[in-house]
Amino acid sequence: MKGHLQVDELLMIIAIACYVLGALALLVYFFSREEWLRNLGAPLAIAGCIAQFAQLGVRWELTGIWPLLNLYGSLSLFAAMSVAIFIGFAWRYKAWYAGGFVLALAAIALAYGVTWNEGTMPAVPSLQSYWAKIHVPIVVSSYAAFLVAFVFSVIYLIKYYAEDHFEGKGVLAAIGARQAHLSGGYAGASMAIADAGSPAPPPYTIRHDTPAIDAAAAAGNATAVWLKSLPSLAQLDVIVYRAVAIGLPLISIGIITGAAWAKEAWGAYWQWDPKETAALATWIVYLAFMHLHTRNNWRGLRTNWVSVAGFMLVIFTYLGVNIWISGLHSYKV
Amino acid sequence: MVAKLDSYYSDFVRTFGNVLFAVSLFAVWGVLTVIGVIVDQGKDPSVYFGSYPAPIARAILRLNFDNIYHSPWYVGIIGLILLSLTVCTFKRVIPARLPPLRPVKIDKIPLHASIDVPGDERSVRERVENFFRSRGWQLRKREFDGTEWTFADKHNWARRGVLVAHIGFVIIAAGTTLYWARGFSGDTVVVTGGSVEIPQTKAIIHLDSFAYTITPVLTKGGMVYQPTDYVSHVTVTGNNGIPTPMIVRVNHPIDVDKTLYYQASYGFATRFRVTHDGKEVPSLSQRVLLEGDALNIPGTRLAVNYDRFVPTVDRESGMPSADPRVNDPAVVITVSDGGVQTGTALVPLHSWVDLGGGWRIVPSTYLLYSGIQYRYDPGIPLVGIGALVLVAGLLISFYFLPARLYARVDPAPGGRWTVGVAATTVKGYDMFESQFRGLISEFSAEAP
Repeated sequence: MKGHLQVDELLMIIAIACYVLGALALLVYFFSREEWLRNLGAPLAIAGCIAQFAQLGVRWELTGIWPLLNLYGSLSLFAAMSVAIFIGFAWRYKAWYAGGFVLALAAIALAYGVTWNEGTMPAVPSLQSYWAKIHVPIVVSSYAAFLVAFVFSVIYLIKYYAEDHFEGKGVLAAIGARQAHLSGGYAGASMAIADAGSPAPPPYTIRHDTPAIDAAAAAGNATAVWLKSLPSLAQLDVIVYRAVAIGLPLISIGIITGAAWAKEAWGAYWQWDPKETAALATWIVYLAFMHLHTRNNWRGLRTNWVSVAGFMLVIFTYLGVNIWISGLHSYKV
Repeated sequence: MVAKLDSYYSDFVRTFGNVLFAVSLFAVWGVLTVIGVIVDQGKDPSVYFGSYPAPIARAILRLNFDNIYHSPWYVGIIGLILLSLTVCTFKRVIPARLPPLRPVKIDKIPLHASIDVPGDERSVRERVENFFRSRGWQLRKREFDGTEWTFADKHNWARRGVLVAHIGFVIIAAGTTLYWARGFSGDTVVVTGGSVEIPQTKAIIHLDSFAYTITPVLTKGGMVYQPTDYVSHVTVTGNNGIPTPMIVRVNHPIDVDKTLYYQASYGFATRFRVTHDGKEVPSLSQRVLLEGDALNIPGTRLAVNYDRFVPTVDRESGMPSADPRVNDPAVVITVSDGGVQTGTALVPLHSWVDLGGGWRIVPSTYLLYSGIQYRYDPGIPLVGIGALVLVAGLLISFYFLPARLYARVDPAPGGRWTVGVAATTVKGYDMFESQFRGLISEFSAEAP
């Protein structure tokens, strides 16, 4: 057993090392756009992710205990799924530039999880259920998708406010003006459709270009050149939407399976346990994101702020509630 | 009067059909929910005064934040959300999701393209139709003011995804309402060797034995006594009148006549041998006390409260240890005189306590008892179906993008024809931009 656990720990060390090195490489790539750094960081991300899944598998195989029943295992899966979902987006949207942030957060989560490793513990009776193999991975994966959305939202906001900076506007003053500008940009399209007698389709408000950044880049401003190398705000917004579109169904299914499990274990779907309640609040925020994303004036800047706020709530739900507040999901002994 | 009612109705529909209003309700719901997470629920008022400054504690109690999920605010906000959901579904979602076929100004739609194609009008139209049909688009043609329009839809059925998700909510609500209307639940305690009758079902549960398993684990933080099994061996007599042995475990409820019985808790019942002037008092000594029960001493104002059972007393310190296995057991009792506590004591089993006036009490034997929850819920199938419908609706909404192409063919100079194509989707234009570009590139490439 001891020898086997060393394999487990070795895989964990490999994963953390891959994430740290990968994060460094991709963070530098984020600013420099040196191709060799991406070519170094991407395989490290993949290797770290594989090492993590292997570590979880080895731990399960050798102990016979589902490894996600404590914060150590749960954070391990969270980190692995964050990187796995990110790899999918990086592959699909050529978005490796964001990898440094995802890998850094994964490494932090993993390192923090290690501090909760108490060794091999048998599961308490309430956790001895097949639902643990369904509910926990689904919920943790939803959190991972929200992490990816958060990272792209932050990049969106950086580029958005940089555009304001290059337009010479103060950040706060620019918010209202920019929103009005964007809304007006496609007012003609909506009007045209309405004029033609058909119902107005969803208006188009996300700008495709950042003219002030483009102009500054053309004038040789190094920061603007770098900002221009980031994808358009429209594409960033689409990535955020797609990440939330992964996370929201997952957290919905997670809440439903959690309710089914609670029904089986305690006889009631819902007990207003702090964790359940906080997960519900998180779900509400992302539900609001999806509803707001259909709105002309809210899609873009404001929905990306909702994504950032949503991830703050995810952190509270995931770690704050489990660690600081007593309840059915508490990790406090 | 009618006009006034119409005006009120319009105001109501406009307000409750507004997405921002719905989102505001969600935000308030979220804030109230988070308050419920942060503020301990269902505690004694003294707990709040002990935890918060007096003005905040008073506010918590006055605003029902100590029982927020059953407060008028919380129930009211959920009611408003359901109302908003209903209005949005019928006034906003359905009409917007299922737009009629109508002409548009193609060049004013952000996703549009114009391709010049040679040939006669009929062959150009056929080419357009064949191109989209071969790529899985569903075509419909309509004529408006003498101009023929071709409408191509993809995933048109998925326009109903949001509606399906909302219907899922309604079915879940119906299932839970069915429980409130016709279901019941409760909990009971059975001492080993004893029986209880469930009032609603008349089923009799006899506890043959209860066992729990504790696994000591040496962790980095020290010894942890991890419970790994709670199991009640019961004999249940249901409607058929036949006693049937069954096993109840956590996560494994038993089903008796459609009522489910759950392993909920356990504890230690204790018999106290009571003597007066050296003579046993059988009426008191035969009683089995559960933790929390009290024994009133006859002819006195004395009462002995059995607070809790201590499975193992640490031999060195004489204090309760963390080990929940029964090794050196004791009980904690509190004695009161006329309702005033006179003392609390940790009393090892078989040791006596002198209550005064010739009364002595000895914790003599202990028995395990099992806490059983029971619940009859006729809404389970509906809730299950509603959950599946909700998830199906979410998946349809998020992973299938309904898009509509508007195409018209107009004459162009030089005997050529201009094919104008515009696209709309239910999720804005960005989601479809790359596909639209690809589609137009392919069409342009195929055009001779």
